[in-house]
Amino acid sequence: MSVQREFHTKWGMVIDLDKCTGCGACMVACQVENNIAPTPDASDMTRVLTWMLVYKLENKQKFPNYDVAYLPRPCMQCENPSCVPVCPVVATTKDEEGGIVSQIYPRCIGCRYCMAACPYHVRYFNWFDPQWPAGMEKTLTPFSSTRPRGVVEKCHFCHHRFMAAKEKARATGGEPMKLAEDAYIPACVEACPTGALIFGNLKDPTHQVAKLSHSKNAKRLLERLGGKPQVYYMSKRQWVLDMLDNDLGDGSHGGVTGGGNHG
Amino acid sequence: MAKAIDQALWPEGVERCSLTKFLLWLVVPALLMLWGLVAAGVVFWYGLGMTGLNNYFAFGLYITFDLAVIALGAGAFFTGLLRYILKIEALVPIVNLTVIVGFFCYSGAMLILTMELGQPLRSWFGFWHPNVHSMLTEVIFCISVYLSVLIIEYIPLVFEQKQLNKVPFLHHLAHNMHVVMPLFAGIGAFLSTFHQGSLGGMYGVMFARPFAYREGFFIWPWTFFLFVLSAVASGPCFTVLICTAIEKISGKRMVEYRVKSLMGKIAGTMLCIYLFFKFLDTWAWIDSILPAAGNSFDQMFNGLVYGKWLMFTELIVCGVIPAIMLVIPSVRKRESMLIIASLLNCVGVSLNRYIITVQALAVPVMPFDSWQVYVPAWTEWAPSFMVLAYGVIVISLSYRYLPVFPQERKLNYK
Amino acid sequence: MGRRAFIGLVVGGTAGTLLTPIPWKLTDDASIWSQNWPWIPRVPNGDFELKPSLSKLDNSGVGVNVVTVKGRPCAVYGNPEHPLSRGGISSLAVNEAELLYSPSRVQSPLKREGDSLIPISWDDAKALLAEKLKAAGSDVACVSGDDTGSGTDVFSAFVAAAGSKLCFYMPAEQVDAGRAWQRLGGQGMVGYDIENADMVLAIGADIFESWGTHVRNAQAFNKANPMGGEQAMRVVYASPIKNRGAAVADAWVPVLPGSEAALALGIAYHLIQGGATSGGPGFEAFRSAVRSGYSPEKVQQATGLTPEQVADLAKRLASAKRPLVIAGSSFGQGGGQNAVAAGLALNLLLGRLNKAGGIYALPEAPAVVQGSMPRRQILANDFVDYMLKVGAEQTKAPAVLLAYEANPAYALPQTELMAQALDKVGFLVSFSSFMDETAAMADLVLPTPLVMERTEDMYTPYGSGWVNYTVATPVIAPVFDAVPAADVLLQVASGLGHNLGFESFEDVVKAKAEALNAMGGFAAGAKAEPWKVRVGGGAPSSSGVSDAVQAGKAWVSMATVNASGLSLAKAAAGQAAAPAGGEFPLVLAPLFELNVGSSKVAIPPHNVSTIRDTEAANGHFFVRMNSATASKYGTGQGKQVTIASKTGSIKARVSIDEGVMDGVVAAPLGFGHTAWDKFAQNKGDNVSKVLTVASEPGVAAPFWAGSMVKIA
Repeated sequence: MSVQREFHTKWGMVIDLDKCTGCGACMVACQVENNIAPTPDASDMTRVLTWMLVYKLENKQKFPNYDVAYLPRPCMQCENPSCVPVCPVVATTKDEEGGIVSQIYPRCIGCRYCMAACPYHVRYFNWFDPQWPAGMEKTLTPFSSTRPRGVVEKCHFCHHRFMAAKEKARATGGEPMKLAEDAYIPACVEACPTGALIFGNLKDPTHQVAKLSHSKNAKRLLERLGGKPQVYYMSKRQWVLDMLDNDLGDGSHGGVTGGGNHG
Repeated sequence: MAKAIDQALWPEGVERCSLTKFLLWLVVPALLMLWGLVAAGVVFWYGLGMTGLNNYFAFGLYITFDLAVIALGAGAFFTGLLRYILKIEALVPIVNLTVIVGFFCYSGAMLILTMELGQPLRSWFGFWHPNVHSMLTEVIFCISVYLSVLIIEYIPLVFEQKQLNKVPFLHHLAHNMHVVMPLFAGIGAFLSTFHQGSLGGMYGVMFARPFAYREGFFIWPWTFFLFVLSAVASGPCFTVLICTAIEKISGKRMVEYRVKSLMGKIAGTMLCIYLFFKFLDTWAWIDSILPAAGNSFDQMFNGLVYGKWLMFTELIVCGVIPAIMLVIPSVRKRESMLIIASLLNCVGVSLNRYIITVQALAVPVMPFDSWQVYVPAWTEWAPSFMVLAYGVIVISLSYRYLPVFPQERKLNYK
Repeated sequence: MGRRAFIGLVVGGTAGTLLTPIPWKLTDDASIWSQNWPWIPRVPNGDFELKPSLSKLDNSGVGVNVVTVKGRPCAVYGNPEHPLSRGGISSLAVNEAELLYSPSRVQSPLKREGDSLIPISWDDAKALLAEKLKAAGSDVACVSGDDTGSGTDVFSAFVAAAGSKLCFYMPAEQVDAGRAWQRLGGQGMVGYDIENADMVLAIGADIFESWGTHVRNAQAFNKANPMGGEQAMRVVYASPIKNRGAAVADAWVPVLPGSEAALALGIAYHLIQGGATSGGPGFEAFRSAVRSGYSPEKVQQATGLTPEQVADLAKRLASAKRPLVIAGSSFGQGGGQNAVAAGLALNLLLGRLNKAGGIYALPEAPAVVQGSMPRRQILANDFVDYMLKVGAEQTKAPAVLLAYEANPAYALPQTELMAQALDKVGFLVSFSSFMDETAAMADLVLPTPLVMERTEDMYTPYGSGWVNYTVATPVIAPVFDAVPAADVLLQVASGLGHNLGFESFEDVVKAKAEALNAMGGFAAGAKAEPWKVRVGGGAPSSSGVSDAVQAGKAWVSMATVNASGLSLAKAAAGQAAAPAGGEFPLVLAPLFELNVGSSKVAIPPHNVSTIRDTEAANGHFFVRMNSATASKYGTGQGKQVTIASKTGSIKARVSIDEGVMDGVVAAPLGFGHTAWDKFAQNKGDNVSKVLTVASEPGVAAPFWAGSMVKIA
């Protein structure tokens, strides 16, 4: 039994790996928007909080046949998340229309089981209390509450913007559950100078993401594992697409693992 | 020999060393406990950032240690089950010890679990906001309740202490508790089976971690059953080891050798059953789960730290070898062999818990991700030693003041 | 009390307490406490507002919207209505609000006393400045890190009023480009109509990261390459390393740093062979210079590219409908004039002058401050050249040097020699928002507000295809005791009896807006897009500059200046030549990546996490080379090396990167800060130290692209 549910609205992202320069604007925009405290030293990246993280992909060829691609990794907001069913205290859910995997900080007990379950490393733990340089706490945004140490946090597609867009739609007589394509986009998508990220409702055919997610150049990360991410990656480069999933090399071992059989 | 000042508290008809000697014996474990408490203080005060854990290794030594002691503590429920439900009377001489071992293992694990939580003040949320889908919820439920059961099983033994037992109320209480003990043994066995299984299930359900993921029976992945079997296969051996340690240190015999040998036989049999399924499981993992995830067996190992030798050591050196040693009566009957086999068995189950906890997280899943190495910090080692030291203290006190071994008098004082 | 009573009391008490709300309330409270510890800051409540502003932390010139809650800035978004942003923003500019409280901010005026800087009042600071300036007389110089704002006009006017000609720009791409444009006889400044091009060949110029209006360039690429749609613009990157821009380009051509001009002229060779002509003055001279100095063989030696590869680039350009060539330095400075001039020559050969998707001659900003030096006059001064002479004691160091939004102590090539030269300055004044390396060694530090805290303007940053003007008005009062530099200078000037015509900088900006009205233009917006107007689409009704900029919009004009004076005669200086080997056999390719800061701003706190552990970790940073180069010089992944040039050395570790050309060491700028704060410090070394200034062939001006180094 899995906890998978269908929604009328399924927010999703399509990221064009042929357009991402890896500049990092999305990462910084995310940190600012969501009140992630800065870190003086990022030598140990396994301790740093980056809801959005840009990976560097290389084709393993030597100069001059070398090629590189950058892969921005927000939370995949899986349709069948591996993290949600494992949480012992319902601190992370996927039960709201829109299909965003939430994280309820005041509920989280910090067991980190969800982090172990997620292969994308989108979940981050507050190893220490967050610290802002003196005064910088005055620039905290009203969008995302601060998190104490000991809880897990993650990308939520700037959920506050979803709420705001719905509210605006209600106030202006629109349909909150049928938002237009540009009514709600996360901070990372908005900041990207090359437009490598686009956002929308994967179930609304008028939204670009709905069309692009079916493109032959679109693929999800670790599709075989059965998490069914709501983030799609696009590239015209075959080696880049090949990097998105494990493959024994000959492509003959198709199939998807089961996924979520407890509960 | 001068009379020890606490002699009045000793069990009926046995000799104990002087109080000074006893207190000196407790110095090292007490220091270790202190060290562990300092570490706990550091972690509670500054946060889990003081450990070697990180976002790749969400679980580490704490969990490995918990799983290991809980598996080794399984001697309690399993022996209880055999003694009270299946009525194997031959186990009576050792059943008290299994309860004490279980008690210290579980209470120690609870202690570490609290440290392991980022928000220990919220540890009760598991009861208040339970997620019925989570294996960990099952674990939290079963471990807490089972610890209560262990306390209930331990209490009559405490009340049988020479002085306490003079209080009629306590005497009757202890007696009545003994009468209903099969009920608690049954509950204990049920709870313990479930949480041993749930602990295994915790890993098996992680379908996005090809190293750990397993298919299974109904809602339970195979790791559920493997954890139960490996726990009952190693728990009795751990009890035997502790019993032998008490004997070596006190220089007296506590149980007849045939009791230990029987425990070894039970463990060996269970180990054989476990290994049969474990090999089947490993084969199915290599043949079906890994390819479905697009991974090869080789990809699951890396370098020296996460090399294949780990799995070989676990399954062959600490699996097949002790299993053979324990099921062959002539080998089992030699005490040194029994001890070696028991040690290997206990190391094997601990290694199994380490591999499935740490290696499962070290294996990169995204093709462009990299292997990371986990090195526990002193703040993780110290509490682990603290629990071991706590075990030594609990057992020492119990041994000194409680009638733990019914055969002690008969075997040592004619 | 008996034992029974005692037990009864304890048991009863426990049971009784459990029946009261106390334990449950405490338990419940624990979950609230654990969420609301007093030492963790709370986020503000309340609705947010968006207020328009401007970011000048990098060259992109993006208009931003500042998110404020109860008047307090907390984030910035790219302004979708601003033509240089269209909603995009760089990884540097996105920090603008947080930097208000950067630990590096200068919080009050500071005066040097011995080895330390001590806080003083503004009155004392101004009096000290006036005293030193009065004593210096005409022996004063200024260097500005800003070439788009009117602030620099105030500085140049002040220096001129004192009787000095020594006003400089910090070295930058736009400085070399401005000089190259002038050398070809261009009036005003050159603009690139990227949005309307169907093919962009970037030679050296890292158009998505550092060159010109890089956010706007990226947006042009974005809109012309819709996901899953028809591709309307192809991009070819020629650079020594497969950098960020090259990663998304349709093709990457590896070319040695410093040989950008050779590549451009090599392409020109093939175009000319194919019959291309500029049809304008100087073509004959150009043709013969190209034929003699930039034959395919020579170009191959200089660039490492085969004649076929170069010919292919020429073919791609010739077959494109609206090609555009953008040439420059791969790290945004030190590339000299030849590369830019050669790139401009290619555009002329391709007939791309004053054509949609081509280059335009744009008017310079009107002068409003009395006696301010025109741009071309400042461009004629070279700060690096000047400081080299000061260092060598060929020129006397100025009695007073005013550094405005500039950090020469960190960002000049041959940094250590330059710092020594700076040390010779009589009285160094740093007008800076941050405690940077220059402020740290200054005699007087005068804190300037950030753009968000002051009135600031921006006129047509380099690269823009059309004139534009944006004004930022304060979003918040200065959070520290900072005063706009231009206001300080205007006050000091009037005290010294110099009349610059204004009392406050705000009036300067107002006057500039008024003066710009003569050009005729409109307020840009989502429905008034300059690139569409450029090709005749929906010209919006013209509007006054003041109204537009008051509303926080970019005012845009399609005005151009006469370009008939452009000549190719001087576009092909020197000869293509292979890099000189010898003692220093490796070519250094500095990398300019904005997430680690610019020449003005060190790594902002929130950017630290964008640095990969293969770029900097544990105090050191990494230089990159391919495996062939590494094994040739006996080094490898993770090994520690010293990279030495004639003028200095840096310590680093090696990261193998197959995207680096053979014989090239790529090294990121922006590390090795000694001032600033814990977020910027203890991270690697400053590559500028090993940049070696040479004399550019045929130009005889400082040039430090293609610096040669060795692994020591």
